Amino acid sequence: MVKLEDLKKEATQILKSGKVKYIIGYAKGADGFMPIPTFISDPEDVENLTWNPACVHNLTKFIVDEKKRLKKDKNPDNRPIGIIVKGCDSRAINVLLQEKYIDRDDVYLLGVSCEKTGVVDEKKLAKTLKGQRVVQIDFEDNGNFLVTTESGSEKIPAEDVLAERCIECKANFPVVFDIVFGEKIKRQVDKPFQSVETIEDLSQEDRWKFWKEQLDKCIRCYACRSVCPMCYCDECVVDTISFAVEPDTSAEEKAQKIKWIEKSPNLSENIVYHLTRAMHLAGRCIDCGECERVCPLDIPIRFLNKKMEKDAKNFFDYEVGFDPDQPSLVSSFKDEDPEDFIR
Amino acid sequence: MEKILQKKSFPKWVEKLDAYEIYSPVKKDNTWSYEIINTPGDIELDYPNAVQAPKKIINPQREVFLEFGRSDDDTLEVTEVLPEEKSVVIFGVRPCDAKALTLTDLVFSEDIKDNYYGKRRKQTAIIGLACNTPPSPNCFCTSVDGSPHSEDGFDILLTDLGDRYFVKSLTNMGNDLINLGKGLFVAPKANEKKELAKIHADAEKKLKRQVNDVEKIPPKLKEMFESAFWDEESMSCLRCGICTYLCPTCHCFDISDEVTSVAPFKGYRIRTWDNCQFPDFTMHSSGHNPRPDKASRLRQRIMHKYQYFVERYDHYQCTGCGRCISKCPVGIDIIEVLNKVRDYG
Amino acid sequence: MAEEFEPRIVAFLCKWCSSAGSDLAGVSRMEYPPNVIPIQVMCSGSVSPLYILSAFKKGADGVLVSGCHPGDCHYIKGNFYARRRIALVKGQLEFIGLEPERFQMSWVSAAEGLKYTEIIKDFVNTLKPLGPQTKLRRNP
Repeated sequence: MVKLEDLKKEATQILKSGKVKYIIGYAKGADGFMPIPTFISDPEDVENLTWNPACVHNLTKFIVDEKKRLKKDKNPDNRPIGIIVKGCDSRAINVLLQEKYIDRDDVYLLGVSCEKTGVVDEKKLAKTLKGQRVVQIDFEDNGNFLVTTESGSEKIPAEDVLAERCIECKANFPVVFDIVFGEKIKRQVDKPFQSVETIEDLSQEDRWKFWKEQLDKCIRCYACRSVCPMCYCDECVVDTISFAVEPDTSAEEKAQKIKWIEKSPNLSENIVYHLTRAMHLAGRCIDCGECERVCPLDIPIRFLNKKMEKDAKNFFDYEVGFDPDQPSLVSSFKDEDPEDFIR
Repeated sequence: MEKILQKKSFPKWVEKLDAYEIYSPVKKDNTWSYEIINTPGDIELDYPNAVQAPKKIINPQREVFLEFGRSDDDTLEVTEVLPEEKSVVIFGVRPCDAKALTLTDLVFSEDIKDNYYGKRRKQTAIIGLACNTPPSPNCFCTSVDGSPHSEDGFDILLTDLGDRYFVKSLTNMGNDLINLGKGLFVAPKANEKKELAKIHADAEKKLKRQVNDVEKIPPKLKEMFESAFWDEESMSCLRCGICTYLCPTCHCFDISDEVTSVAPFKGYRIRTWDNCQFPDFTMHSSGHNPRPDKASRLRQRIMHKYQYFVERYDHYQCTGCGRCISKCPVGIDIIEVLNKVRDYG
Repeated sequence: MAEEFEPRIVAFLCKWCSSAGSDLAGVSRMEYPPNVIPIQVMCSGSVSPLYILSAFKKGADGVLVSGCHPGDCHYIKGNFYARRRIALVKGQLEFIGLEPERFQMSWVSAAEGLKYTEIIKDFVNTLKPLGPQTKLRRNP
């Protein structure tokens, strides 16, 4: 079990010694049981840190934010950032390292083990509790969560309320860290792609029916893009204007920005957006499932990424986020890559 | 006009409205949304609030303004496209969302009347449902001049009295709708009016969240434009558009031309929702962006709702529906932000 | 009788092999269906998934990506990258329910004019019974 006290002790120490600029962690939210991301630079505030199964956010997104801020800073403070990482989050760090977006010295990784479980799916939890208001949720031994509601506490088997991504997680223990809390217990995952397979097993027309309905709902709030630690491009195909505008960019250059995707939230535009997003994350998505969690319309976006992950594994024996030194999926190849689909 | 309608007569009334296009909250994969319904049985009025406010019906995310194209003899043709004329009824609108429409009315009917919005608004009857229990844990309508049974923006307001609805018509359009169901409605008895008053009073007490002394916020905000407060508060913001797109009062838009075919040349001029949380919202063609970071964008969202709008129209541009709080991926909580603003410095 | 459906195929042909192959078919006066809209690209490896999605969005009934045979790429490795990327795109398009026949890839060298005509003939014949592609197409 992760001992929160140990985590706080380490956090206080690295802040006091000036080893890190600040720490990105989880704190109790203003209302309800869901924690919020917090940024701690004063050792006194370490008290606010928390760790429980509702710590769903992938905080590595804020490393990307910090990196962008530093670029604009005239006198940058280049000390590392302390950050709490779960197994999936640590894989995101590995991809950022692999892509040389960050250096290993940019971050001080406080790893936390999800042990045999993972984080909750808020919707599943609400369903299981039939509307009772959750006050607190904690890890318990033997793969259970201890859920405190307004009417008391009860033990719930984690499997009933685990986020889908955690059920299919291959490594619920940080793969890269400076210090780690909790035990390394490998959980057996027999079917890492079961969710994708349920869609693949549908007939072609049913698959289309499914995606048509789902992608038609999209309102293009771009939360899926915004929350993704791998979506760090300065300019994105869906943006209406070019952000790489410099004082000497000519009017012609600006006018020639290609409109790949129209602003209309129509099915055809939504499909291009979501497929492009998935393709751009091929070999980069570490399956933290944040895109799906944040979607206000509950579009199962994670399937699209998971499909890429599955194909990468099956076709090219490529796994994401474990080795920061491997070449990236789409800028490498092997002689024996499949080509039976090519005429 | 005040009436009583038995719940079992409700579908019969809806059947009489067959000349109207009827929207109602519908549950789809665990989320509620306003959709067109085909049979009265599809209307479910026992629902928490829908993810998207009914603003999406009156002020759709995509509105076609013009159709343009080149005809066979090579002349350019431009045709105005107006919203289809039809009569629409939306059932199950919550008081916060109806009030939001009255706020958008202020903007779209100022000096220049927005024909598209105006037309849709005029042909749509809003039938509300008072909230006997708060539909969201983050409801705070009473803090912003609203209430769970506010009548602003409604043609008819229903209140659930168990096996009956207390029906209050507030406009001629509402009266007409009730007259279509003649015979189904009866006049309320004195005890029913009493019951209504009690339910309404109880509902207000059930709200868990509030912003105290909200009137102190607009003047305070005026001094906080340059404050470091916004940097701190926006640290965890992701720059997505959930808060504004789901907001029932946000109404900013963008106009663009979409060419659907090059030969023969054809396309549309459309209006789509826009979003002050996106970096391209304020981007100038020179490359300068007056709101360059998320701090300035969070500030804009709060300032617009609690300062600029108040100054201009004397209303808060927020109706306390709590959507932006419930759906924020990182738990940015407008109630918290407002409380901090009030106590700042 | 209704006119027979004539599919429209967008073909991304690499400059050095496939495009030259299609030219050879042309100058040799080999006959093949006129249903194809060729777009010359520098290398099959330069074909972004966005090109493919855009073609479908703008009404293509089928899309072909064609490059040099493995080992023959003018840029040494471009077609190997394409092979990986196209495999992923193909998987994704099938996953959302597009007919797999609508998206094809081929290796056509500058000498294979005949092969090019056969690919197009077969492509047109597979697309005809499928009818127009409406799934990814922009609805006005």
